[in-house]
Amino acid sequence: MTTPKIVLIAAAASLALLSAPRAYGAASAWSVNDPSQVRLITAAKVAPNAGEMWMGLQFRLKPGWHVYWKNSGDAGYPPAVTFQPEDVLGKPEIQWPAPQRFDLPGGLVAFGYEKEVVYPIRARLQPAAAPAPTPAPTPASTPAAPGSPNTLKITADLDYLVCQADCIPFRYTLTVDQPVGIPAVPDPETAPLLQAALERLPKGVGEMAGVSTEVALDTYSAALPDLEIRVRGARAGAKTDLFLETNDALEGGRPRMKIVPDGVVFHVAMKPKEANKPLPAHTPIAWTVTHLEAQGHPFSLEARRDVEVSGGVGGPAAGSAPQPPASRERLARLLLSAFLGGALLNLMPPVLALLLAELFVLRAGERGRVREGAAAAATGIVGAAWLVALLAVAAHRAGLPAGWGAQLQEPVLVAFLAVLSAMVALNLWGMVEVPLASPGSAGTSGTSRHLLAGLLATPLALAWPVPQLREPVSYALGRGPATVTAVFAVAGFGLALPYLLLAVAPVLLRVFPAPTPAGPWLPRVREGLGFLAGAGAFWVLYALSHQVSAEGIAFIELALLAMSLLAWLRHREGSGRTFRAVLAVGLLACAAGALWLADHNRLAPRAWPVAPLPTTLSTQTTGPNNPLPGGRKNA
Amino acid sequence: MRRTLLSLAILSLAAAPVFAGNAVGDTAPAFTLKALDGKTWSLAELKGKTVVLEWANPNCPVSSRHTREKTMIDLAKQNGEVVWLGINSTNPNSGDYMKPADELAWNQKNGINYAVLADPTGSTGHAYGARTTPHMFIIDKDGKIAYNGAIDDDPPGRKPKAQRVSYVGRGLDAEKAGKSPDPATTHAYGCSVKY
Repeated sequence: MTTPKIVLIAAAASLALLSAPRAYGAASAWSVNDPSQVRLITAAKVAPNAGEMWMGLQFRLKPGWHVYWKNSGDAGYPPAVTFQPEDVLGKPEIQWPAPQRFDLPGGLVAFGYEKEVVYPIRARLQPAAAPAPTPAPTPASTPAAPGSPNTLKITADLDYLVCQADCIPFRYTLTVDQPVGIPAVPDPETAPLLQAALERLPKGVGEMAGVSTEVALDTYSAALPDLEIRVRGARAGAKTDLFLETNDALEGGRPRMKIVPDGVVFHVAMKPKEANKPLPAHTPIAWTVTHLEAQGHPFSLEARRDVEVSGGVGGPAAGSAPQPPASRERLARLLLSAFLGGALLNLMPPVLALLLAELFVLRAGERGRVREGAAAAATGIVGAAWLVALLAVAAHRAGLPAGWGAQLQEPVLVAFLAVLSAMVALNLWGMVEVPLASPGSAGTSGTSRHLLAGLLATPLALAWPVPQLREPVSYALGRGPATVTAVFAVAGFGLALPYLLLAVAPVLLRVFPAPTPAGPWLPRVREGLGFLAGAGAFWVLYALSHQVSAEGIAFIELALLAMSLLAWLRHREGSGRTFRAVLAVGLLACAAGALWLADHNRLAPRAWPVAPLPTTLSTQTTGPNNPLPGGRKNA
Repeated sequence: MRRTLLSLAILSLAAAPVFAGNAVGDTAPAFTLKALDGKTWSLAELKGKTVVLEWANPNCPVSSRHTREKTMIDLAKQNGEVVWLGINSTNPNSGDYMKPADELAWNQKNGINYAVLADPTGSTGHAYGARTTPHMFIIDKDGKIAYNGAIDDDPPGRKPKAQRVSYVGRGLDAEKAGKSPDPATTHAYGCSVKY
């Protein structure tokens, strides 16, 4: 299509401006266009002449088209309406029913309504200005003649945008001649419509007994604060969803939902809108949770809180904003905490498995080479920690989730950790001869093998978000690359602590039983440790299950199983060189497949920019843009 | 072993500059794109100048209303020292896609005299997090994003033009005076970018 829609749109808009026929009573005439129709309704045949009066904007939409919630999401805009006469109606307010989510091409998302929706509108009639009080009108079946003193001529100037993938703006003037008087008479057609719409409005917290909601903004990771919203006392289901209103300082990503026994918890990665500006101390967060159920009643919940941003000790500032010089004690405390955190990581199953395997090998090896081997492993650990620091700085610079724990937010990275843990397990089971230190080979090449074991220990440790490292890392990210490097190096030294101790005092190794030539218990211990590494792989898969669809997890597990199968085959039957090479390639392909699966089954859109792709490729991935066959009818 | 280490280090270094953020204050993501007339534009070559990016799509009624009202056209004219660039990230599979020659002809007919760059892969759009047409960015002379959001405060275009708050107009005035735009971010409105 090459002819722009502009001319036709202009024509549609000018047609729309021809005022719709005036209606009497409780509804305007429908204003009709191709994708939608709209009218103004009021709840009453005869409205009270003072106090609250309910009206509504009733939309009917063609399948596939939607109109918007108060936060329209990534695109669109909400309807805007003004009413006349203002001296009688005041400034009526639109109420917003619980919205739903619409996914658009390119990972964009919109919030709004499809098919049919009534936006309730509350007006407060200004008594002084209301039409002159008149004797009670004749029965409601014969409404007052238009223009008589007890008729209120309501005019609504409405602008709205209706979209599927395409959007069309419309502008209408809707009018209702509303009889006003005492007694008020509800309209049997429109009053139930408005009643239903009012029931679709989200409830406030106080309106549902036993239901509560909480919010917390975790700013430990300064680059990407985590918003946690929890609802207690209500049942959630697969359709339950969270909608945030717009916030001046922070932009919310796609919520991740977890149903818990007493309710539901959402986590939303919040991105500061300004990289170098400290976040305000408080920020208003307003949210709606839909499709809840309590005492057998479906409902949505709405809440608004002033949330403390600088709650974390890590400080609220993001980016490389100038910060007041921190006290020396604080830096020392944080470095100590980083060291402890690093040391603690040695207890995490796959790391522990690797460490114990190493220690046994060192014990079995030549006594004089213990120091050298331990030093090599420690060097590997600290060296890898530097690389991790470098990557953390790069990710932070890029505005990606950075901070201790953020590494578990990226499916590809988590899948990589799963593959790594599985490889370590397979190695310990003796099925994969990654050139790790193994008994009997602690000879000439032993040192470099210990170095490699050290290099591997650091990425394995990344799967464990020990709390001791959170504050130091987020603090460091706020201060710059030098601090980040220092913190990671210190944590690396913590992780390397067992080896450092051995390098200083090889005698400590004596606490391990020496291998006896009689019983081959050493291989058995190694194989047993393999299960510890396997447990680590399972934990990582659990972490991954929050970011990847259930199908994705199932296929990733299959890929890991296939890896194990190939490793086993290679170990068992791999006598021919070509055969072994083919199996090794297959194994690596399975590992790469696991990463690919994680990337393509992610629940939240990717946080990093997509690299430029050849046009043909990118069009395949974004898919068809226009869901209606035959192109747009409205254009 | 040493070689492995070295290549690892080089790899991680190489990965660093690939990323750039799209929040205000971040270095604006680099791009090199062809304009509709075939001329190549590169952000790197515009350093030292204030740059405005406008996500454009002539088939989006919100963008075309602004074209009709000359919102961007007039603002670009008033700020002659600023480099004003349209970017069209419409996917060639979308019904909204126009061939560069057709789009250029349409732009000329409707008074758009600034360059509009074609981003058919959407990679530049994604790098900036462009969501709507029109979605506006101001890039300051140091190549940092100074404003990210809507063109003005009136999504449906209900108010007379003179009564609207032009966020981009104010932002450019602030840049000229050596200050930062305030507000620096607003909620962009319009059609979704047809990635």
